[in-house]
Amino acid sequence: MNKADVLIIGSGASGAAAAWSLSRNTSNRIVCLEQGDATKAGDYPTNKVNWELARHGTASSNPNERKNKADYPIDDNGSPISLANFNGFGGSTILYSGHFPRFHPSDFATCSLDGVGDDWPLCYEDLEPYFNENEKMMGVAGLVGDPAYPEYDRLLPPVPLGKAGRKMAETFNELGWHWWPSYSAINTSSHGGRASCVNLGPCNTGCAQGAKGSVDVTYWPQALRQGVEVRTGCCVYEICVDKFHKITGVKYLNEKGEDCFIGASIVVVACSGIGTPRLLLNSKSAAFPDGLLNNHDLVGRNLMVHPLGYTEGVFEDDLQSSVGPQGCCILSQQFYESDPANKFKRGYTMQVLRGSPAMETAVSAYMMRRLPLGPDHHKTFMSLFNHNMGIAVISEDLPEHHNRVELDEQNCDANGMPGLKVSYRVSENTQEMLKHGLEKSKLLFQQAGARVTASFAPVKHAGWHLMGTARMGNDPEKSVVSPLGQAHAVENLFIVDSSIFVTSGAVNPVATAQALTLRICDHIRQKFVN
Amino acid sequence: MKLKDIFYDTILPGDQDLNLPAASRLEIDDYMASVGATEMLARYLDLLDTLAHEKFNHGFVDLSAEDRLACVTFSKRKDIRLSTAIIVNCLKSYYTCESVLNILPTGSVPPFPEGNVVEGDDWSILEDVYERGTIYRHIPE
Ligand SMILES: Cc1cc2nc3c(=O)[nH]c(=O)nc-3n(C[C@H](O)[C@H](O)[C@H](O)COP(=O)(O)OP(=O)(O)OC[C@H]3O[C@@H](n4cnc5c(N)ncnc54)[C@H](O)[C@@H]3O)c2cc1C
Ligand code: SF4
Repeated sequence: MNKADVLIIGSGASGAAAAWSLSRNTSNRIVCLEQGDATKAGDYPTNKVNWELARHGTASSNPNERKNKADYPIDDNGSPISLANFNGFGGSTILYSGHFPRFHPSDFATCSLDGVGDDWPLCYEDLEPYFNENEKMMGVAGLVGDPAYPEYDRLLPPVPLGKAGRKMAETFNELGWHWWPSYSAINTSSHGGRASCVNLGPCNTGCAQGAKGSVDVTYWPQALRQGVEVRTGCCVYEICVDKFHKITGVKYLNEKGEDCFIGASIVVVACSGIGTPRLLLNSKSAAFPDGLLNNHDLVGRNLMVHPLGYTEGVFEDDLQSSVGPQGCCILSQQFYESDPANKFKRGYTMQVLRGSPAMETAVSAYMMRRLPLGPDHHKTFMSLFNHNMGIAVISEDLPEHHNRVELDEQNCDANGMPGLKVSYRVSENTQEMLKHGLEKSKLLFQQAGARVTASFAPVKHAGWHLMGTARMGNDPEKSVVSPLGQAHAVENLFIVDSSIFVTSGAVNPVATAQALTLRICDHIRQKFVN
Repeated sequence: MKLKDIFYDTILPGDQDLNLPAASRLEIDDYMASVGATEMLARYLDLLDTLAHEKFNHGFVDLSAEDRLACVTFSKRKDIRLSTAIIVNCLKSYYTCESVLNILPTGSVPPFPEGNVVEGDDWSILEDVYERGTIYRHIPE
C-alpha cells in the first residue's frame, strides 16, 4: 500500500522530534522522506587527521561550497549574510554546535512589551512541558538556577568551562554582568545510551563520539524502534492538493531518480526555515497558483537569520582554549531584554566561543595580517593558538516583510527543482544592537587583559538560524499556520519547523523549535492520529 | 633544492626551538594536487621568479632568505588572488599534517583519539550572578 497515515518531510531537528512524538503508542504507518543521504559517524571527517579541511568541503555549512547531491543552490547575492544548513539524515543538527538555550518569556510578546515585531499566539508556559521533555530526549547539559530564566527542571552536569572559560567568567563577574554555563546538547555523562563528550572540539563537522545531541543519535533511534520508516535520498518536489484543498500525497524523486508518489492522510513539513518555503512555493496547483499556502503572499517572507557580531581576543597566557566543544562554554544575557537607555529595542545573547583549531587559527590570522610568513611565523602562531577566544553576539532579528527567500528558476538542484534566492537587509535596529554588542565584547576582552584582534558584524557565513518564512498566528490573512501548526488553508497539512516562528528571540533556535514541534505533534496525535 | 621547496621554506621555515618541521619536508605537493592547485602553483612560482629578476636581478633560488620573503610580499601586490590562494593552501596543508599537529599543543589528534581532559569547575564562582537576582521579564497576565 503506497499510502502513509502520516508523512513527514525532512529528518532534521523538527522532523526527528515529530517522528518520535507521532509514533508513540500507535499502529499508524508513519513515513519520513529525506532528500539527503544517511549519515554515519564512522565517515565523519573528525575520524581523520585533516578533519579541518572538510569544513570547506563535504562538511561545510554552506551548501554552495559543499555541493552534495541533496544540496540546492542558494543565491545570496542579495544578502550580506549567506544561509547555512546541512541536508542529510539528521539535518543541520549534524553540523550544529549544540548550544541549546530556550527562548525567554518576553520573546513571545515583543509587540505588547516593546512595540516591535508581533506577539506569538502562545506563551512560554505553553511550551514549558515540551522544553523539559525535549531537553531530556536531546541530552542537555547545564546548570539550573539561572536568573535569566524561569526555573529549569533538570539538566546533565554542565560542560566544563576550561581555563579560558574561567577567565572569561571571572571577567563577567568583575563587570557585574550576567553569565551562565552554556545550555548544551552535549552528553557530559553517559545518557540515552550515548557516551560522554571527550572534549575534542570539532563538533561542527559531526561528533564521531556520538556525544553531541544531533537527532540521528537522539530522537531517531527511538523513532525507528517505534516503527517509523525513513526513506533517504528522496527529494519531495510537490505536495499535491485536490480541489477541496486537501492534501492527497506528495511527489518525489527517489535515490535512483525515479519519479514516485506516496499518498498521505496527514503531511507534516519539516524541511527547515528555507527548505519549507521552497517546497511550498514549488507546489503550485489550480487551488494555489502562487504556491501552496501562499494565498496571502506570506510564504518565504519575514525571513529572520540572527545577524551575528564577532569579536576575538588573544590572551598573553596559553589557556588551552581550543580544547572542549567550541560553541559551548558560556552565555551572557546581560543585554537580552529591552533597555530604554539603548538606541535599539530588544537585545542579544553573548555566546562565548572557545579558541579555534590549528588550521583555522593560522588561516584567519594570516588573512587578518596578524600572522607573518617567514622566520617569525611559528612563534607568532604559538602566541595565538590556544590563546584566543571569541564572543558571538546573537542579535534578535525582527520580522520584516521584504526579507525573504524566493524560488530561483535559473539555478536548480540535481533533480531540476529550483534553488532559492535570498533578499535580506540588516535593519537599523539590528545594526545598532550589533554595534552595542561589539562594544561590550571589546570591553569584556579588554577587562580580561586580552588583546582584541578582530571585531566585526555582520559575519557573512553565519546564516545558521533560519526562521519566520511560514509564520504562525490566529489570523489567516496574516499568518500561514495556526498556533498548532495547522495550515489555515489546508486542514491535513502541518508545519512544525522554525519557519513558523513569529519572532526570532536572540538565542539559538533548536530548543524552542523542537519544543514547538512536540506541542504540535501532541495535538496531531490527540486529534487526528489515534 | 628546487624553487618550489625553497618557496615553501621561505614562508614556513622549520623552527628548531619549537621542533617544527620546514614545509618542504611535508607532503604539500600532494595536497596541492588534491585541491587541483598544481597548475596555479606553477604559475605562482613563475611570478615569484619573474619578480626576483625584476627587483633583484637574480632568480628566486639565488636570493637571500630576506629577499625571497620580500618577493613573496611583492607577489601579493602583483596578484593578490593568486598569492593568497597559494599561501592559504600551504597553511592549510601544513596545519593539517599529522607530524605538525603532534608537535603543536592540540591535545588528542584523530583517528580514534582518547580525548582531552578539562578539569571540573567550582560553581561558587556563580555566587555573584545568583545574588543579583532574576533578570528575565515577567509577562503581565
Ligand atoms: C553550522 C551550524 C551550527 C549551528 N549551531 C546551532 C546551535 O548551536 N544551536 C541551535 O539551536 N541551532 C544551531 N544551528 C541551527 C540548527 O541546526 C537549525 O536551526 C535546525 O537544525 C533546524 O531544524 P529543521 O528541522 O528546521 O531543519 P534541518 O535540521 O535543516 O532539517 C531539514 C531537513 O529537511 C530535508 N529536506 C529539505 N527539503 C526537502 C525536500 N524537498 N524533500 C526531502 N527532504 C527535504 C533536508 O535535507 C534536511 O535534512 C546551527 C546550524 C548550522 C548550519
Ligand atoms: S567536543 Fe564533545 S561533543 Fe564536540 S565533537 Fe568532541 S566529543 Fe563530540
